[in-house]
Amino acid sequence: MELDQMDLPGTMQDDGQDETKPYLTALIGWSLPAIEACTKLEKPFVVVGPPDFEHFAEKNDIRFIGWDFDRLNEGSDKLFKQLKALGAEVAVPLYEECVEWAGALNSRFRNEPRVFNRSLLLRDKGMMKRKAQIAGIKVGVFEEAHTKDDVRRFLKRVNEALLKVEGDKNDPIHVKPLDKAGSVGHRAIDDPEEIDALSDNDFPLLMESHLDGQEFSCEVFIHKGEIQFLNITEYVKLGYSNFVPASPSLEEKRPQIRQAIEQLINAFEIEYGVIHPEYFITSDGTLHFGEVAARVPGGHIFDLIERAHGFNAYQAQILCSDPNTTQEELRNFFPGEDEAEGYAGCLMVHPHRPYIQGLDVPDELEDHPYFEKHDMFTPDQGKVSERIGFGNHYGTIFFYGDDSEEMRELLQKYEKYDFYV
Amino acid sequence: MTSELTEKKVERFTDALNELDKAATFAKSMYQTDVYQEAGRMMESLDGMKTLFNYANRFDEAGVFMNGPWEDASKLQAPLVSGSLKTKGLASIIEVMSDMRMLAIAKGNADHPSVTKESAEEFLNEVMALNLDLLFPNGSEESRIEQKENAEQFDRAQRFFEFLFTQLSSASLSKTLLVEINQLTAQRPIMVKRIKSMIRTAKKLLESESPENQPEELQDYIEAVEGPTQYSKKFPNVNHYRSELKNVMEDELVEEARAFAESMQKTGIVAPQHAILLRRLNKNKPELLFEALMLTDKGKANLEEHIELVSQLIKVAIYPATAQTIYGLSKMLDRGVLSSTPVAPGLRRLVEIDIQPGVRKELFNAYEYRSGLTANSILVAGVISVLGQPLGVGQGLNPTCQSARGISLWAQHAPGYLLELIPRAARDGDIDLTFEGTAIHSKDLKGGLAPELHKELDPVSLVLVPHLDRIYNEMMTRVALRGEDGHKWVNPEFYGNWVQRGFSTVIEPITGTITDFQGYVRLFYATHHPDYNDDYELIYPNPVGIFITNVHGKLLGFHAVSILRIARVESGDYRIYFYNPNNDGSQNWGQGIEPTVNGNGELEGESSLPFHEFVSRLYAFHYNPYEQGDAFAVEDDIVERIESLAKQSWGEEYTWVAL
Repeated sequence: MELDQMDLPGTMQDDGQDETKPYLTALIGWSLPAIEACTKLEKPFVVVGPPDFEHFAEKNDIRFIGWDFDRLNEGSDKLFKQLKALGAEVAVPLYEECVEWAGALNSRFRNEPRVFNRSLLLRDKGMMKRKAQIAGIKVGVFEEAHTKDDVRRFLKRVNEALLKVEGDKNDPIHVKPLDKAGSVGHRAIDDPEEIDALSDNDFPLLMESHLDGQEFSCEVFIHKGEIQFLNITEYVKLGYSNFVPASPSLEEKRPQIRQAIEQLINAFEIEYGVIHPEYFITSDGTLHFGEVAARVPGGHIFDLIERAHGFNAYQAQILCSDPNTTQEELRNFFPGEDEAEGYAGCLMVHPHRPYIQGLDVPDELEDHPYFEKHDMFTPDQGKVSERIGFGNHYGTIFFYGDDSEEMRELLQKYEKYDFYV
Repeated sequence: MTSELTEKKVERFTDALNELDKAATFAKSMYQTDVYQEAGRMMESLDGMKTLFNYANRFDEAGVFMNGPWEDASKLQAPLVSGSLKTKGLASIIEVMSDMRMLAIAKGNADHPSVTKESAEEFLNEVMALNLDLLFPNGSEESRIEQKENAEQFDRAQRFFEFLFTQLSSASLSKTLLVEINQLTAQRPIMVKRIKSMIRTAKKLLESESPENQPEELQDYIEAVEGPTQYSKKFPNVNHYRSELKNVMEDELVEEARAFAESMQKTGIVAPQHAILLRRLNKNKPELLFEALMLTDKGKANLEEHIELVSQLIKVAIYPATAQTIYGLSKMLDRGVLSSTPVAPGLRRLVEIDIQPGVRKELFNAYEYRSGLTANSILVAGVISVLGQPLGVGQGLNPTCQSARGISLWAQHAPGYLLELIPRAARDGDIDLTFEGTAIHSKDLKGGLAPELHKELDPVSLVLVPHLDRIYNEMMTRVALRGEDGHKWVNPEFYGNWVQRGFSTVIEPITGTITDFQGYVRLFYATHHPDYNDDYELIYPNPVGIFITNVHGKLLGFHAVSILRIARVESGDYRIYFYNPNNDGSQNWGQGIEPTVNGNGELEGESSLPFHEFVSRLYAFHYNPYEQGDAFAVEDDIVERIESLAKQSWGEEYTWVAL
């Protein structure tokens, strides 16, 4: 057995004794910005990523272990031993699929079996909601569904509870996979006929009642269970546009939000790293918890944080994931939470039409003082691929300016614009 | 943003380039996009192009091209530049940046470990020569459409060439052009529009140069286009020339005729005034026609025998707009085609037939300055060209090498048959070929390339290719499931009985592997190489398939050519002479294999390669099963040499299986 060979007592002992040797940080998932961040921190690291990247890593002298995250098996022990042998002591998860792998590794590195269980909490949206509910956090009504009938029943019962009568338009319910990132596979359903569009592969899934209110996310950098930096990202339109920091009216609620997050940290027993919870806030100021992830958030939020707050969020994540980072290092690293001088926003563009043959970026946009850059090029003409969640957008436009209302208007205005014609 | 160059744009570009420069090697891709975006904005004006070039010496080091197809400057190919420039979006931006890097190397502003100053300059000269249409766009319908559809990259490409043009030395540019013109004219293509535009460009380039720097050869070409004779030089306008000609004395008329003919035979290009002269002689001095055509004795005899028909053909088909046909006429007479019995009535029929409106429109579109020409005149002119220059038939920009090969073959060996097909297509809108006893009618077939056909074609191809292409595809479809390469059956049926029934291909059709390569090579030698094939001479062109490889020997695709003859050259080596319907100038197939079009005993329109080099690219051929020589006698080292050439080029894309 290969595992047995890895487990030679001799090698393990050698590593244990060699304490002067600097330890490695293991980046779980392939991310160039994270690799760059680790390099700039001058922290030695090893990347655990899909085997496809091996050639690139080798060419660029990046220490690399190829790993297939989708294949759950007892071989995971092998990964730990390989990393341990290299001298790794910390694992940093970068993508949704890597969270439990990093959890498993960290629980071995730190000898705390529960670290792994906690990470599983973040990977099963049903379990996550239940845990939040037990801890007294306000969540919507939710259930796990295994069949289409479950979904039909849930839609019916939620709307019954809302006292809808025959002929009223249904309030939508939301369904999403239990273990996918952010909005991948997310659908809102208000018509029972839409349920037929679900396929067997979509199950099991999580169903939730619809929550009204403004949606926002937080990016919370945590070390030793303490909040080191709390960023609030305001969503203008979920999956299309957001900006950092939040507008004054939302920032006003920061103390309340902070309290909610401390509650979350306690309930989920989170000690290290970054979390990315999403909330809804109603007009009367009630916070509803949506979900939480422990990885790099989507929507270019890390880029926006760097532009607005002036620190590299990947570096922050790596520092906070490492129990050995000192308080002083953290104090020196993070700016004050209220020191941002402007708002950094972005618009993710997906064609509004099924077939595109050109790009039209209006001069008016590029001449706007808030316009920073975009990454769109005239496409080869072709059929537009269907949007999966909010992931595969075609391009991003970045803005920066000092008025949150103007930012919001810009993002709303161009969200409707046909960049692809 | 406005298209003008602003300080802000320069600043944004510099910032992006600096960020990329600072980035670690593995992280370059994160910063490249910003550089491309800002560079694209700089390219919106000519000033921007110039400013952008100031940074070109830094592009390589900063990592602008890292991890992409443009990474290694030494591997770039000039013929591919045009395609990238015309691609939408990103590729055209990177292409411009890459060519600017080359320019920086050529000017000594940047060093490159494997590209010298000279080779960079050579590369750019070639790029320039290959993209003249962008620099001096022609007014054809087709380029107008292209411009409209791809305005963004078309403008960018044009602006770039405008910039590049000012940066290269006009003397070296014109030298490159001249080489290209020589290569193209050597093949005596029927379509000379492109050659003429190159000649005009070269002329423009050299206008500022002193006369002693003007190569004499180029002067000959310019005269061939504009008028090579005493009077045509004086009267470039055809109407002026025509009225002047009325007062010319007979001895001067002979001079005119000889000078026109000499220029035409030397360059293969005909000046429009030549047509005026020929019409005049035809009317008043038919005894001087042979001078104006510079006929061989055989041609002269053919002319005398058919003077009435020739006179009629000149009246119908020779006008300033169709002057190029005069060259075809002289070659048709030299070849003695009119003595083939069905040709004379076949030609007469074309003068009178009713041409379908659609076909008429296509023919009209092919001539810009047709001033009163009828579609019949254009068609007859086209037929004269094809009968005179069968190897000058080209496929243009269409993937229709098979059809071009067919027209060329029939023009050489079955002019009567060709003259049957043309009226069928032009008048009836249908042709039929028999495949294994069943007639296939083109009118019943959908598809083919007809709607997308690129119209820069000679009149005969314009009329026939849409039909032939559909029929060829249909035949290939019918044999698709036979488990062997379909060309085996299709070629003899499509081209006719001139094609031998024996057939061998290098690719195992079922498995797609290469099995008995050595045996295949031996069979080709035993059926084609005079040292091994019992002296059987090749009589009709052999339609063969070849692998087209690029300058690095990498497989690009399949192509159809015809082997015309095999002959020994002075060095004692055998060469294969073949017809290549794509009429390319210089070609480089990698591994030092470069087909030539002149200098190695080629006749007009032929390309040639040393025997073994040709075989190394051959993937299928026909042979006569009753005329096989001694396959066993072919030396092992020859076979092995060919095998290694094949394995290290196109062969890399295939699995080789030992028997």
